[in-house]
Amino acid sequence: MYTELNSILNTTPDSFTQGEFVLLSDRQSDASFLIHHFLSLYLRARCKVCFVGLVQSFNHYSAISQRLGVSLTQAKEKGQLVFLEGQKESLSVLIPQENDTGSQAMDFLRDPSVGLKSLYDVLLSLGVSAGAVLDFSHYCRAIVCSQLQGNVVMLVRCDGEGEEDEGDDEGSERLMKGLTHQCSLTLHVQGLPTGYCRDIHGQVEVCWRRRRGDGQYTQKKLFQYKVHDKGASFFAPGTSSAVL
Amino acid sequence: MLPELLQGVDTGGLLVIQDSASYSGRHLLQSFINAALNREEAVHVLGFEVSEEELKDGLRGSPVQRLHFHNAYTDPLGWTDHPAFTVHQFCLGELTRLVKQTSHSKPAILVIDSLSWILRHVSTPDVCRTLQQLRKGGAVRSIIGLLHADMHQRGTVGSVCHSATSVITVEPAMRGDEAVAKITKRSKSGKVIQDEEIFRIKDDLTVLVQSKSSKGAKKADSEEQETDPTANLTFNLRLSDTEREAKQKLALPFVFSKAKKTALLHSGPGSGRIHYEPDANDDYDQEDPDDDLDV
Repeated sequence: MYTELNSILNTTPDSFTQGEFVLLSDRQSDASFLIHHFLSLYLRARCKVCFVGLVQSFNHYSAISQRLGVSLTQAKEKGQLVFLEGQKESLSVLIPQENDTGSQAMDFLRDPSVGLKSLYDVLLSLGVSAGAVLDFSHYCRAIVCSQLQGNVVMLVRCDGEGEEDEGDDEGSERLMKGLTHQCSLTLHVQGLPTGYCRDIHGQVEVCWRRRRGDGQYTQKKLFQYKVHDKGASFFAPGTSSAVL
Repeated sequence: MLPELLQGVDTGGLLVIQDSASYSGRHLLQSFINAALNREEAVHVLGFEVSEEELKDGLRGSPVQRLHFHNAYTDPLGWTDHPAFTVHQFCLGELTRLVKQTSHSKPAILVIDSLSWILRHVSTPDVCRTLQQLRKGGAVRSIIGLLHADMHQRGTVGSVCHSATSVITVEPAMRGDEAVAKITKRSKSGKVIQDEEIFRIKDDLTVLVQSKSSKGAKKADSEEQETDPTANLTFNLRLSDTEREAKQKLALPFVFSKAKKTALLHSGPGSGRIHYEPDANDDYDQEDPDDDLDV
């Protein structure tokens, strides 16, 4: 986990908001380094984690987590981590078909655990409609966040410029918008608008959507980041160590 | 206009609060619920998107005894054996039965959170028809619905807003805790009033209108006089009268006037002449090939 990100999000392994639905998204960039942050944060907090990886294999995440000081293999053996490798297992468990095989997915989600789910939008390119993914994420939230007071983290990739054409109802943009409405915290990763930079890999926009108690307005903050071997550093725009 | 709408939607009216991913309209929706509860009206909430706890958490301080939450959040698609309320139950009969379960003397206000959820699973014409039937049915006094405009095609949003008597579109304002509300209100006489206001929602869910939006003033500015491009330069681009005359008299080199044409085509005395002696191989045509040229 990245200490600077923890201070931005006001989280520590001992205290973080429960029942949160975190949306990670990227546009022409790669936000998967944030997945590793949340994975190691929840494992260090001794929560039970369920990880659905559809793009990379278990070994990929294990290797990277090792460098961050967390052993996924150990966590798996202890029963703290359940890893669903999408490439190997059948996706029909997750996708509700015509009839109610959705109930199968729900049984799987009913594990009493703080759930971390990494669900790439590979589902969309496999022919699952944006509507079905939104339904699935709604049920994730209803069961994991509201009922079980767990957290859900989801990663969505946006391609293209931004605005979707009118005719296309199913697409990554509608999925993004739909998930943004559902979530309580978004982290959106983008490349720098000025282009490639060796010392700054991109910018992250953090947006708190639902804040209970102390004011309910949406709060946004922008940070720049650099990913390195043992983690990632975050800083306010213009304060990169290469610049100062 | 926002405070007026908060004081009460007309009987048989449909208010749609349109929001987007950049600013959630749920906070304003909670203000409307709070205002209705304070007026001692019964409020029925059809909750698809947030749980009862989350909604009531935002309504702390309001008299929630008259608030009836119908749980469509836990299982809106009927995936379990005993769903409380599913999206397919969104029709006149079911909703009337739902609202009439609680006995109140006055018809209640129905709040739908959100219409977007329903529109993803029920066709737009069916949704619009059900809303119309509810408005005229008498079981509910008025309906307030939240719609995420960026989740649907423009036609869908347009259809739903067209059947509404008032539409409030919320967007983020410059300051973090403020928002812009674009309001369209259709009265029974057919008159349409539009307005734009900047507002802030206080902790007790009352709405404070800060000011009218400055967008109206901006439109007037764009129609200002055009600036003179030849002013404030270090060189002179203007023409005096004599210079303008001389400019108009000048014959441009490649513009053909009659005099120029005849001079070019019929060479005068003293200019060269061309003598042509055709060869045996030449295909000599006596006709002038440029005869049909209209120069």
